[in-house]
Amino acid sequence: MPRAPIRWRTVTVSEVVEETPQARTIVLDVPEWPGHEAGQHVDVRLTAEDGYQAQRSYSIASAPEDPELALTIERLEDGEVSPYLAGEVRAGDEFEIRGPVGGHFTWRVRDGGPLLLIAGGSGLVPLMAMLRHRAALGSDVEAHLLLSARSLEDVFYREELAGLQHVAMHYTLTRSRPEGWTGYDRRVDVEMLAEVGPPPSEDPLAFVCGPTAFVEQVADGLVALGHAAERIHTERFGPTGG
Amino acid sequence: MTEPALWLDGNALAGLLEETFGAEMTAMLRRCQSCGERHPVGAHRLYRGAGDVLRCPNCGDLALRIAVLPDRHVVEVRGTWRLAVPRD
Repeated sequence: MPRAPIRWRTVTVSEVVEETPQARTIVLDVPEWPGHEAGQHVDVRLTAEDGYQAQRSYSIASAPEDPELALTIERLEDGEVSPYLAGEVRAGDEFEIRGPVGGHFTWRVRDGGPLLLIAGGSGLVPLMAMLRHRAALGSDVEAHLLLSARSLEDVFYREELAGLQHVAMHYTLTRSRPEGWTGYDRRVDVEMLAEVGPPPSEDPLAFVCGPTAFVEQVADGLVALGHAAERIHTERFGPTGG
Repeated sequence: MTEPALWLDGNALAGLLEETFGAEMTAMLRRCQSCGERHPVGAHRLYRGAGDVLRCPNCGDLALRIAVLPDRHVVEVRGTWRLAVPRD
C-alpha cells in the first residue's frame, strides 16, 4: 500500500465523555483516517486566533477496530493544551491532528504474549487500546494489567475494565482507598511486580506507560526480576505533558 | 530519587521524525557509535528543550539532534541507523 506523507488534518469533535474529574475522552470525526495500531499516538496542534500554535502528543484510546478515533486526556493545571482538551472542548469544535505515529510502543494480537500491561495514572490510555483490540478480536492471549492510581475515582474506564474477559486485573491505590479495599495500597515495587506478572521464564511482553519516574521504577524492577530488556516497551509522559 | 526524571522516550518524537525522514523511524534499530549497543529509536532517551535531543539508552551518548526552524529542520545524526523505507 502506498504510504501517504504525514500531514496535519482538521478533525471535528463528535462527543466528549467525562472519565474522571480530571480527564475526558474526546471522540473525533476524522476524514480519511488511515487506521492505527494499538499503542500509537497522534500529535495534536492547536492554533490561537493570533496564530500562536501549541503542539502535544496524545495516546489513542480506541481500538483499531472501533468505528471512531478516541483520545483520553488528563488536565494538567499548568498545561498549555490539556486545559482546553480536557476542559473547554465541545462537540463540533475543530482542531488539527497528525498521525497515527509511533511503531515501537504497539501491540497486535499476532505479537502474542503473555501480555503484561503496567500503567501509572493516565498511562492506562494506550494500554486500554491494546485491551480493546484484544477484546475486539476475541483473542485469548494471556493478559495481566497492573494499574496504579491515586484513588479509585482517578481510574479511567472503570466499568469497562470490570467487564473485560480473562484479564488478570490488579489495582494499587497510592493516596486514598475505599473502605474494605483489598487491592494494593502502595507504589509499585519489585515485590508487587513479582506477584502480578508472569515470571521471566514465561517471557512476557511488557508495556509500561506513565510519568517518567513511575516508568523508571517499573522498568528497573522488571529487569531486576530477570525480564529481558528488549521485551519491555516503555512510554514516558514526562513530569508533565502539558 | 535525587532529581526529577526529565526525559521521555524516542517514541514521543515519532511525528517529527516521520515528517523529517518521510518514514516511520521509531521501530528502527540504531547502533551506538560509543557503546556499540543496538536499540530501537523509540527506546532512546528524548530530551526536549529549544531543540530535541535523542541519546543512547545505555550510555547516554548523542544519537540525534533536531532543531525546528521557521523554514527548515536542521538534523544531526550519530551512530548507525538501519532504515527500512517502504516503497510505493
